[in-house]
Amino acid sequence: MFTKGTLIYIAQRLVLIGFTVVAVSSVVFVGIHRLPGDALLSERLRGQAYQLLVHHYGLDQPLIVQYWNFAVGVITRGDLGESLVNRGLKITPLVLHELGVSAEVGGLALVFTIGLGLVLGVFAAVRQNTWLDYVLTTTSVVGYSMPNFVIAAFLILVFGVWLQNVTGGTFFYQLGGWRGDFGQLWLPAFALGFPYASIVARLTRASMLEVIRQDYIRTARAKGLRERVIIVRHALRNALIPVITILAPLVIGIITGSVVIENFFGIPGLGKEFAQSILNRDYAIVIGVFTMYAAMVGLANLLVDLAYVVIDPRIRY
Amino acid sequence: MATAAVVVDAQPIAPEQVSLWSDAWRRLRRNRLALVATIFLTFLVVVALVSLVWTPYRMSEIGVTQTYAPPSSAHLLGADELGRDLLSRLMVGAQVSLVVGVGTQLLVLAVGVPIGLLAGYYRGWLDSVVSFIINVFYGIPDILVAMIMVFLLGPSLRNIIIAIVVTRWMDMARLVRGQAFSLREREFIEAARAAGARPLKMLFGHLFPNALGPIIVQATLGIPAAILFEAFLSFLGVGVQPPTPSWGSMANEGVAAIQYAPHMVIAPSIALSLTLMAFNFLGDGLRDALDPRSRR
Repeated sequence: MFTKGTLIYIAQRLVLIGFTVVAVSSVVFVGIHRLPGDALLSERLRGQAYQLLVHHYGLDQPLIVQYWNFAVGVITRGDLGESLVNRGLKITPLVLHELGVSAEVGGLALVFTIGLGLVLGVFAAVRQNTWLDYVLTTTSVVGYSMPNFVIAAFLILVFGVWLQNVTGGTFFYQLGGWRGDFGQLWLPAFALGFPYASIVARLTRASMLEVIRQDYIRTARAKGLRERVIIVRHALRNALIPVITILAPLVIGIITGSVVIENFFGIPGLGKEFAQSILNRDYAIVIGVFTMYAAMVGLANLLVDLAYVVIDPRIRY
Repeated sequence: MATAAVVVDAQPIAPEQVSLWSDAWRRLRRNRLALVATIFLTFLVVVALVSLVWTPYRMSEIGVTQTYAPPSSAHLLGADELGRDLLSRLMVGAQVSLVVGVGTQLLVLAVGVPIGLLAGYYRGWLDSVVSFIINVFYGIPDILVAMIMVFLLGPSLRNIIIAIVVTRWMDMARLVRGQAFSLREREFIEAARAAGARPLKMLFGHLFPNALGPIIVQATLGIPAAILFEAFLSFLGVGVQPPTPSWGSMANEGVAAIQYAPHMVIAPSIALSLTLMAFNFLGDGLRDALDPRSRR
């Protein structure tokens, strides 16, 4: 499955990802340090105390030295530095913990996206030009036209406010604390995944319609196979290939979308940290989280490209 | 009688010649969803223009009624947490959305079309460089980069537009590159080359007009994407700054009050969704009208 060529390809891609991460984080690093003032000015410290802090964070050194120290720390120890606002807080363990939380939400969102998208797409294709098809196709445009926070707001309004007596209104995580169980996860995951589910549904429908007219489907029918077997085993399998092509933008969309959704629901994940640290002007965390994101997006792209090789044996790198 | 027969013969037998554009217009008019979308968008533009000179109340005036007042006949959409009239703010918010949506797409056209034409027509090393840059830009998470850019440049409408263009120009560039790539092999381009057309004339006189259909569709579908982008930024608090209302920031304020003033989140959410939907339906309609073969 993975030939020598594929391995070389993976190595090339990894180098490119490393290059992109370094380039992007350098731009952010330089950009942030060119801003007037520094993060510590807001502390209203004077004289020696201020000087000590500046020295502690190495902000008195030339920019190039600061960047060198940052880069060496990241590469040799995986150390992203220390928060400027919450003093003494190490960023790497914090970010890794938050990554776990985000992965839970994002993973479930991906399951919703693909599951819902495939089922709706197949139904629309099998019942082409019936009312069910029209309803599903129109809903999918509505679905990807709605920002995820709008979907989230309506879900909370319905399940958390209007049906509070039934559901107990437990969707306000800010009040109850984050437990990370399914009861807390499904709503944000659904809001995060639904717009992309619409896109998957559209694409699945289109490619199913194409596949269903192929000769080998007619052959399968002629053999007397049951319709369900034909759809699932013969048609869907081949209809999946174009769907996989949008997996990469999908995963990236869910990663970026999680910034909005985590802030909306108060989920203590990477996305919330990113937005909050930007608003708090905690430069160290902004750079740290962003470096993390750049690496994640690069790796997600690579994994999806490798998934082609597994699913479609005709593709080789 | 003989003369009459001649007259009849003179009538054209072939169907009336129809240009691509009038044909597309006819198809678009038959698409009911696209038509409704066009009417809605016209209405939106009118609202945005009207709000430049008149809103029911001054959009940033505090305490025109009770805070969190529910919709009433005096305040059709109610009031927000500072007692500002929501309808007035929603109307001004339409300006922001339209300026961001249309403004970014004009800039994206200005950046993406020349780059795409050059790369697709000249190919070679130029195309390799452009394709590499496009791929690098596709590899970075757009909203996150835009957030950082707005953070670095300072939040303002202009900087938001710049941030969106920087992170989304390559959609257009890639499309135009692909169009130029296939068009350059066609006979009429070869004829133009044989006739000695200069490079500028070649790119913008021959290639560009023939790629116009897909470009228009792409630009139309880029508008809702840009509006959504701005709403995300404003929702997170790094977008348009108060007191200028944006539908995204209004929704954000509404979420905080969702338990006791749900109208605050419902109004901007519906406005945003309808606008995005209208642009998407119009874009889909244009695609079907301009290129009937791509019909899904």
